[in-house]
Amino acid sequence: MSIPRRQFLKTAGFGIAAMAAGPAHAWESKAPDDPLGCLVDVTRCIGCRKCELACNQVNKLPEPETPFEDMRVLDAKRRPTAGAYTVVNRYYPGALDERGQLSPTFVKIQCMHCQDPACVSACVTGALSKKENGTVHYDASRCIGCRYCMVACPFEIPAYDFHDPLTPQVRKCTFCLERLEDGKMPGCASICPTEAITFGRRSVLMRLARERIEGDPARYENHVYGEHEAGGTSWLYIAGQPLAKLGFPAVPDEPLPRRSETIQHALFSYLWSPAALFATLALTMKTLSGSKKDKE
Amino acid sequence: MKTPTRIIPAMIAAAMILAMSVFLPDPATTAPETAKPLGPVEKIRTSLNPRPEGWAAPDHTAALERARAPREYVAKVRLEDPKLRQIRFKNLGLGVGDIKYSYMVLDSPLVNTFENLYGPARFMHSKHAASLGGDCALCHHASPEGADAGTDRLSETVACRSCHQESFNPDHPERIGLKAAYHQQCMGCHETMNRGPVDCVGCHAKRVPDHKELVKLPADPSPIEVTKECLRCHQQAGEDMIKSAHWLWKGPSPFTVEREKKVMSGKATDTMNNFCISLPSNWPRCTSCHAGYGWKDETFDFRDMTRVDCLVCHDTTDSYHKAPPAAGMPAPEVDLKFVAENVGKTNRNTCGNCHFQGGGGDAVKHADMCAVLRYPERNCDVHMGGYDFTCTDCHKAVNHKIRGRSTSLPVAEGSRTCEDCHTNRPHYGNGVLDFHLNKHTDAVACNTCHSPVYSKCKATKTWWDWSEAGDKARKPVKDKFGMEDYNWMKGGFEWKESKKPVYTWYNGYMERLLLGDPIRPDADAFWPGENPSAEAKRRMVATNITAPVGSIKDPSSKIFPFKLMDGIQPADAVNNYLLAPHLYPTSPDDATAYWKNLDWQKAFVDGMKAAGLPYSGEYKWVRTNMYWGIKHEVMPKDMALSCVQCHESLTGEKTCDRCHQDRRDMDFKKLTRTGTDFTKMLAQGRDVAELVNATDYIDFKALGYEGDPILKGGRFKKLPLGRVEP
Repeated sequence: MSIPRRQFLKTAGFGIAAMAAGPAHAWESKAPDDPLGCLVDVTRCIGCRKCELACNQVNKLPEPETPFEDMRVLDAKRRPTAGAYTVVNRYYPGALDERGQLSPTFVKIQCMHCQDPACVSACVTGALSKKENGTVHYDASRCIGCRYCMVACPFEIPAYDFHDPLTPQVRKCTFCLERLEDGKMPGCASICPTEAITFGRRSVLMRLARERIEGDPARYENHVYGEHEAGGTSWLYIAGQPLAKLGFPAVPDEPLPRRSETIQHALFSYLWSPAALFATLALTMKTLSGSKKDKE
Repeated sequence: MKTPTRIIPAMIAAAMILAMSVFLPDPATTAPETAKPLGPVEKIRTSLNPRPEGWAAPDHTAALERARAPREYVAKVRLEDPKLRQIRFKNLGLGVGDIKYSYMVLDSPLVNTFENLYGPARFMHSKHAASLGGDCALCHHASPEGADAGTDRLSETVACRSCHQESFNPDHPERIGLKAAYHQQCMGCHETMNRGPVDCVGCHAKRVPDHKELVKLPADPSPIEVTKECLRCHQQAGEDMIKSAHWLWKGPSPFTVEREKKVMSGKATDTMNNFCISLPSNWPRCTSCHAGYGWKDETFDFRDMTRVDCLVCHDTTDSYHKAPPAAGMPAPEVDLKFVAENVGKTNRNTCGNCHFQGGGGDAVKHADMCAVLRYPERNCDVHMGGYDFTCTDCHKAVNHKIRGRSTSLPVAEGSRTCEDCHTNRPHYGNGVLDFHLNKHTDAVACNTCHSPVYSKCKATKTWWDWSEAGDKARKPVKDKFGMEDYNWMKGGFEWKESKKPVYTWYNGYMERLLLGDPIRPDADAFWPGENPSAEAKRRMVATNITAPVGSIKDPSSKIFPFKLMDGIQPADAVNNYLLAPHLYPTSPDDATAYWKNLDWQKAFVDGMKAAGLPYSGEYKWVRTNMYWGIKHEVMPKDMALSCVQCHESLTGEKTCDRCHQDRRDMDFKKLTRTGTDFTKMLAQGRDVAELVNATDYIDFKALGYEGDPILKGGRFKKLPLGRVEP
């Protein structure tokens, strides 16, 4: 039995197209409807690092090497680490104050709690999950330490307990889940002296952000970072300068899992691709063995 | 495990004996470092100056109560253009005069949203309103809906926490919470106006965390072990401390004329006074107020930060104290571990333990500080007694350097004046009296009116005659204040209480006579053995050890109150400088200390050797004066001097028509005569009989005026319309 090569390719091509286009297999967002979130108004932040302190206390993180009052740590750009789930960085985007001095802008960074988190998508064991209240939750008991989440995160947030050889964990902002479940606010939002962090439902925060921008267009860049970035995040930012100047990565608006999961699903639904692969192999083998027989 | 408990004390005792034999080559001496006896001492943990039952600072307590009282939430507000709002308020006449509470403590439970890392901010409402020109709308930016200041005057300028309460209220997501409202409003304005603090500790005192778990000390540690434990975490504090005036007792003297560039002045080197005269050779006694351990002679190592005494300033238990003649070592009964586990911010007791005791006893030196200030009545000190201030609320420290200048000492680590908080237009109201009082502030220092008598709570020493010392047979007589007029070691004294200060022009700088500086060439003197009468001594031409700099012609000079410290002390008859005697016996076989041997010659030889100056061998007695500024113990405003107490010309006036043509509708007599009630003070037992009904409180002619400035014009101002009194 022989299938002409052209015929095979034709069939296979239609098959793939049918799988990809078939409505039963279209990618669907699993984002919660109106999650809790925080709006960080960078123009209100005074760089006091009290959010770092509150985060440290709530999450019982190790005491920092330099005290939280020591502002010299702002001299270097930092990323969140296994021991600090949120850090404040200082930027000089170029604005001058009245005395001609560069005026600083402070940016707090932490997990953005994406609506459709790439880390959740990449996690092979389900240790990471997006909760209905908006938190991207990490369950250490399920984690195998593959660190795919760290590779997947477009904001480079998850950190790893590299110093702990026995029970290392992936570490990142928990959105103070326990406090949220107790009806309290996240530590950083509670302690912030200027309400640079506003806590609430994402829809409310979006409205607030729009109101603030429209109410004072000279103060704000017309951009709510996190509205669309990575398909939308629970944490949102507004700032007085282009966010790219404040260390925010350019992230596509498309939910990151959409493309990867679409490709994956296209390839693996109904085990179509392995079936095709093995079918091809079988065919090849048969063809080869058949031609041998013919010779004999 | 019985053995170790018995062995440890034995080992400690053995170690101490060993240590002592190293420290003290001569075992017969009772050198200062033996403050810790060998036997067990019962440790004390109780306050040495317990807070009197029921003591409270009334203004502060009331402000706290107001801050904590809940308020009804204003859900709906009316916004208004700020400029139109300002004009509307001005048209209604709203201003500083409408302020109900001029002092606030921003301590609502609403602001404590996470945990109390900092103490509450004190807010001077009237001062802020006044320095903003009485523009209420600047802070009171919205009104409760329906309110109308036209009908209900204060209905639109409500407290911040009427509208700003809990954060993130889902019903009002745009309404920031109280904490953010305070911070955004205060810091925003301070930044825009480039005035006022924008850092945390500029407004809030940082709370010190509980050190009970943090401090790791053995039972009964040595003082130096305690310091080492402090330095384990606070290395920077140690590095800062050993550069501070409290440690070095010397430093830059920016406010001493002709010595501004001098960086080594101070008690440790060249400062003198007319109390116990000077430090060199008398270390162990004097240095019992040093913020360090063991400065017993000139060999003390000022680079060794393990000898810093952290506890003397940071004790919150009020059980820490130093043994008087032990070169700064703590008294043996102090439970150092207990004190170290309870460290905190400085307070009136920690500062006062030394500063109230200047001159070796309560209120001896300072006429504006005494032990009463630990828990004073409001009338005695309005800041401490009314508003519960600690010393460092004004004398703020940065890097262990403490703001404030002294009249008696050259070292200064910054400056602090009343005006820093109260502005140079401190009478905030918009009444006619405020207006006239504010015209005084360029020429008259605050305390001239606001602290009209010095030492009103405790008698201070005003005369010290060293020439009378040495008579062990003379019986001391107690004066009406219960103070002794004589001490065989020190000589004759005079004390004063509730006395009118001397007033002189002062621009914040002092002239200073330092060790080795010549006394006045025309100074009178008498010789040893001579015994002039008390009157003759008071007539002697005196040398000023300190004197304020200032002049009526200098716009930066103000009329400032001083206590004049007068006395007789020894001078070198040939070299014509003041002598530094060796007074305190540093050991039982000290053969030269005056307080042991009563031989002036030997005392001068050894004292001057320690001071590094030649002694000719001949001495004489000279009169010296020191001017001690009256800066503390400010009285409540209703006890300031009244107009007529200085301006005698007003006593006969019934209306304002001397200066103004219209006859104002006001009680002129009441206006000009309301002030310090010396009759009442007299009734309360203060020694102010001669001040009752005084109308010449300030001697204008002595200050360089032609006469009462109301009649003759001010120092820079002519009377209106060229009017001159006949």
